[in-house]
Amino acid sequence: MGELSKKVKKRFKNNDDFFQQETYLYKEIVEIMGFNTLINIPKTKDILQEYTKSVLTPDMPLDDFLKTIGEVKEGNIDDAIQSIFEGKLIICSNKDQYVVVDPIPKELNRSIEPPSNENVLQGSQSSFIEDVETNIGLIRKEKTSEKLRVKSYSVGKRQNKKLALLYIEGNVNKDILSEIQNQIEKNIKKELQNQQDLSNILGFSPWLTMSKFRTSELPSEAVKMLLQGRVVLFIDRLPIAFILPSLIWDMFTVENEHNYPYPLMILIRVLRVVGLLTTLIVPGLYVALVAVNPGVLRIEMALSIAQSRQGVPYPALVEVLIMLLILELILEASVRLPKSIGPTITMVGGIILGQAIVDAKLVSNLLIIILAATTIANFTIVGVQNSLSIRLYKYLIVIFASIYGVFGLLAGMLLIIAYLSSLRTFGVSYLNFNLERDVIKR
Amino acid sequence: MNKNLQVILMYFITHVGLIFFMYPTDIIESASRTHWVPIFIGMVFHLVFIWIYMKGLSYFPGKNIIDIYMEKGKGLSLIFLIPIIGYFFLANITTVRAYSEIINIVFLSETPLWATMIPFLFIATYIAAKGINVIFHTAFIVACVFLPLFLFIFILSFQNVDWRYFFPLFDIDYSFISNRSYYKSFFSFAGVFLFLGFIQPYHTYDRKKVFLSAILLLPFFLFSVYVPILTFGQATSATFQFPFVTALDSVYISWLVFDRITMFFLISLLIFIMIFLSLLLWMVCSILVHFVPIVKHSYVLYFLSILIFIICVMLPDWKVVENLFWWNTYFRFYVILVIPFSVLIFGVRSKRKVR
Repeated sequence: MGELSKKVKKRFKNNDDFFQQETYLYKEIVEIMGFNTLINIPKTKDILQEYTKSVLTPDMPLDDFLKTIGEVKEGNIDDAIQSIFEGKLIICSNKDQYVVVDPIPKELNRSIEPPSNENVLQGSQSSFIEDVETNIGLIRKEKTSEKLRVKSYSVGKRQNKKLALLYIEGNVNKDILSEIQNQIEKNIKKELQNQQDLSNILGFSPWLTMSKFRTSELPSEAVKMLLQGRVVLFIDRLPIAFILPSLIWDMFTVENEHNYPYPLMILIRVLRVVGLLTTLIVPGLYVALVAVNPGVLRIEMALSIAQSRQGVPYPALVEVLIMLLILELILEASVRLPKSIGPTITMVGGIILGQAIVDAKLVSNLLIIILAATTIANFTIVGVQNSLSIRLYKYLIVIFASIYGVFGLLAGMLLIIAYLSSLRTFGVSYLNFNLERDVIKR
Repeated sequence: MNKNLQVILMYFITHVGLIFFMYPTDIIESASRTHWVPIFIGMVFHLVFIWIYMKGLSYFPGKNIIDIYMEKGKGLSLIFLIPIIGYFFLANITTVRAYSEIINIVFLSETPLWATMIPFLFIATYIAAKGINVIFHTAFIVACVFLPLFLFIFILSFQNVDWRYFFPLFDIDYSFISNRSYYKSFFSFAGVFLFLGFIQPYHTYDRKKVFLSAILLLPFFLFSVYVPILTFGQATSATFQFPFVTALDSVYISWLVFDRITMFFLISLLIFIMIFLSLLLWMVCSILVHFVPIVKHSYVLYFLSILIFIICVMLPDWKVVENLFWWNTYFRFYVILVIPFSVLIFGVRSKRKVR
């Protein structure tokens, strides 16, 4: 056993999945090492043997042979260890020289499946998985263009995480691209595990309530965004494409809609805008009309609302907040629960609880209708994060409306509009409507 | 995004916000018949001075009005700019105070006045603190959301009109010229236009299109006065504090769940006014920061809005507000006459020098 393999063995002595075995390769003994949790050993060996048979000159020395399967390295043990962690196989000869080889890996990735969080009607069903290479491959398959560029980074100090940056040459705005690249290179030593880390690396404030990324599971979506001049980021082990910059219009559009005729597409988008407005306005409007400005309503309407609130002991704001809180709890619970129990929760939460709470005179009938409509409308918005942000803004408006009535409602709207207009991602305003026109040709 | 469209929409919505409250009152007070004459005269005046102003500015591409005056020396620029600061400051105070009173009168009768002023100033300061680009972006989105609502209700306001009140058309009454109220009505013309001189390095615009949008305002000026007159007649509408709002209150639509659409109309105008306030605050700050460059823009802004809030709370009653409004008329005519002409003269001169 050579000096090198001893040193390596010492380093890995606490890892039981590390293997080191001698094998015949090309009539001479070599040592192979790696992680048996990452490498499919028998198959890898088979392939190596097969390969030795295919060599045309049978009396080539081992060293020369090793050169044909990879770069022969010497000495530097850290390189070897890094490669082993990355799941590579090391073939080590007696002279302390080694070759790093790509083995047959153990299957640790799921196969490409339909998306789990974004439903697609009538469109491509494949979605991204955890593996970066596969994801880039999916994009390449979707967009066969010589102009698609991929740049990989290895980010982090304690552990290296792969980060891939994709763009289409000639379509992307050069300032944005170079600024993103600068940011990544500047912060390349920061740890990268999740989206918060990514926004930290890109220099975004952690207190933003509106995500600066558009996230998507769908290759078709990512490619469409690339064609619009945006930049796509992949993090290894996250099955999501992070698309930069994100724009307000993304809340209402999905690439898949282009599979419908034009009128239907417009109709769906209008529905989403209505959904957004409903989510924001309706609970606030209820509070404003019941508590502050009942005079705005037609008298019959005002009376029927007052009747339905008969016996409700507390002010409209508390009433709305209680119900909103219960709804948030139901939503959060249905995310945590296994899929088989989910429908039960809807049943218990929606029907039984709703009925009971009205019977107990804790809230009015009308409020149940309003909140159910609000919650449903909330999910017409594209993107989980977007709908979360809108859910948050709804509370701001409810509170404003409880103080200033209808005026507070619209003042809250103005505040939200102003906040959204103040968001900028690498110089691109969040409220751009046509990125291709406004950004690329700027 | 098309900057031209943003400037035009800003011009449009801020004017619309200013027209519908005080303007009809002042015009109806100043003339007893043929109201279209004072309106047209005001409008022609408006068009002439914005044309002069824009023509003057066009000699200095990429420069704002502060730079233009600074070229002529610090002393001269002080002389020219201090009245503008005074004008904006007073305009800010009267607008905040007057519009919060309107809110209190129309729909928040139980809320104390200082409490209604807070959202006004707070939101305007917030928007102004984010800078001119955000002000314009916000104005654009606000216009997309609220202009349709505003136009819809504006059209509904014609429900009860009787067109015969339009007559007599030519029995012209010139008494408005000597009436104080008529000069107050110029607030609606002179409040906004100066911003065209402040946005130059950030936004460029097509002069003709801004001019067209100014012409487009004519029907709104005209009907803000005529709708109450056509609904109630001159004698009755002269007794109302806000004639247009009262006229709108008389509208009844059977298919709407809301009884008082006035409220939605008012609120969309108030939203436009908040944009206007943020624009005013931003302009005052940019002048102040230019003279005292050590202080940060945002600090000046916070200081100003707190000061404005304190002054607004201290004003005892509506009479004082009206007086302030009247005093501001002197500043207003200074702004209307001196600023456009001086910019034009400087422009023509500097062009000659280049030759």
